[in-house]
Amino acid sequence: METLQYAIRKLIYAIPLLFGVTFLSFILMVHFGPDLTYSILPKSATQEQIEEIRAELGYDLPFLQRYGKFMKEVVTLDFGSSTSSGEKVSSILKKAVPVSFLVALPAFILANLLGILLALYAANHRGRFPDKAVMVLAAIGMSISYLMVVIAFQLIFCTSYGLNWFPVQGWVEPPPDYPDATAGEIFYYYWYYYWSYVAVPTLASIFVALGYNTRFFRAVIVEELNRDYVRTARAYGVRNRKIMMKHVLKNAMIPISTRIIITLPFVVIAGNLVVEKFFGIPGVGLVTYDAITNGDLPIVKAVVTCTAVLYVLALILTDIVYKIIDPRISYSK
Amino acid sequence: MTESAPKPVLRIRDLVVEFKTEMGVIRALDKISFEVMAGESLGIVGESGCGKSVTALSILKLIPSPPGRIAEGSIELDGIEVVSQPEHEMRKVRGALASMIFQEPMTALNPVFTIGNQMVEVIRVHQKVSKTKAKKQAIEMLRTVNIESPEKRIDQYPHELSGGMRQRVMIAMALSCSPKLLIADEPTTALDVTVQAQVMEEIKRLQQEMNMGLILITHDLGVIAESCSRVLVMYCGKIIEMAETGELYKNPRHPYTRGLLDSIPRVRKEKLKTLPTIKGMVPDLADLPKGCRFADRCPKVEDRCRTEEPPLEDTEGGGKVACFHPN
Repeated sequence: METLQYAIRKLIYAIPLLFGVTFLSFILMVHFGPDLTYSILPKSATQEQIEEIRAELGYDLPFLQRYGKFMKEVVTLDFGSSTSSGEKVSSILKKAVPVSFLVALPAFILANLLGILLALYAANHRGRFPDKAVMVLAAIGMSISYLMVVIAFQLIFCTSYGLNWFPVQGWVEPPPDYPDATAGEIFYYYWYYYWSYVAVPTLASIFVALGYNTRFFRAVIVEELNRDYVRTARAYGVRNRKIMMKHVLKNAMIPISTRIIITLPFVVIAGNLVVEKFFGIPGVGLVTYDAITNGDLPIVKAVVTCTAVLYVLALILTDIVYKIIDPRISYSK
Repeated sequence: MTESAPKPVLRIRDLVVEFKTEMGVIRALDKISFEVMAGESLGIVGESGCGKSVTALSILKLIPSPPGRIAEGSIELDGIEVVSQPEHEMRKVRGALASMIFQEPMTALNPVFTIGNQMVEVIRVHQKVSKTKAKKQAIEMLRTVNIESPEKRIDQYPHELSGGMRQRVMIAMALSCSPKLLIADEPTTALDVTVQAQVMEEIKRLQQEMNMGLILITHDLGVIAESCSRVLVMYCGKIIEMAETGELYKNPRHPYTRGLLDSIPRVRKEKLKTLPTIKGMVPDLADLPKGCRFADRCPKVEDRCRTEEPPLEDTEGGGKVACFHPN
């Protein structure tokens, strides 16, 4: 209950911040944004035609009015229609967000979980061989370009040069229409195709994220291991496994959870441009990529704004998680 | 005070502890030997870096390793040789046979768990009891160390308690499995002066009630005078003097001990003069002088002191001193 109050207060405090990020998005994407007039009109357009289009796009409105219009779009989550396909931006995103989420989620969970486990293992053997081995592997993982990893994994897992286990590109299609298909069979169909499309992107993402995560988490855990309470627990005979998994981990979760939550907006909305483009997955990443290359402003505007807002919300979530982990953070201020 | 054949709870013989550093291997403890009897309280004094805390930590094998290691010697805790004891066996010794109170009650307790959680954990490491029973024991223990309304305190977090209260919790935790030896590493240094006396009083009372051996590590000779029967003075990883408390205060034999005693501020009849200090600096452990380690600062230094290391020898007062020209 107190935590809920705390959460609500944090949300209220975030309002000015939300205004800030949306205002910045407005300045960058709308006020200084690209002028579409001349890409819509032919070169021979007359002055009247130009003015007509400018009025239609709202370019002739004064600053505050344009800002008001933009804020209305943000609040109603209605960013107009895509200039290339004419489809409503909200319905495009409604389709793309769950896809991005489904693609990124397994990698997100596994990369963090494995990162914590490896970091605990390395920290527990700090300064000795297992620690050094893990750290060298992490450095190697960090040093290889994402693009190389994606291509290499596609070659290894998706082509006849390698194992040829998974399709190179694509996403789950609705199942073919068998009238007597049971619910179980339909579930199995989705389950099977989901994993066949998601497996390689997941492996590639884990490969790339794991190095960073492990190094960061290890540093945090090693710092906790040097604290006095660890020595106390040891002096009273608490077993090492319990010191690591209970005492150290809970304290280390404070910085670790920050890092994990901060990356959440990218999982939910910003997607992953590289992965989705290379694997042809119709998530937010691919939509954004195409929108940028096509100059499809409403979509870019929506993605940028939503990412900024989600970022603020993620920060609030971090505060709430802190509160849950650390009893020293008071409810009052 | 003559008991029939008192049994030592702790017997340290020729203990050498080394640390690997960038400047080479440093001997933090150089062949120290002493004993603590059941029910006896032994004070260890010395400047920072003289090896007091290392001594305390090596008894429980808590020296951070690497870089530290026990290179030689033996530590016998209630008849059990600790040095050769493997880590999983040490767990049964720590907290049960010998327990420890640390200097910083602010940081020595885990901030994200309740007092009760941490106390119950320690009790259940050494006793096969249910959580509810362990909690009852913990509450009893908190009552023993004079914490008011322990039922309420036990569910609080360390930051909700005052410094003195936290140190009492530490004492309760340390004693929850009735150890035979309690090591208190500067237990009152971080506390307010008024609280210091109360906490020391508590430690002394419980030590007598439970007939534990007590090692009190401090740089405060006043605290030792009040609570210890025997004192051990350390300098640069060596024991340089050991004596009954009264004898040591009346008759300090080593010039260093004398210097320490002289530098205690006290209200004198005559006008306060500048407080005497021991001139010079503690030598670097990585670059020790050849002879007596105190030679450079000693007012009585002679040529022999610079070439030969004085052995720890018996004195008429019943103590021991490592000096060629004791008082």
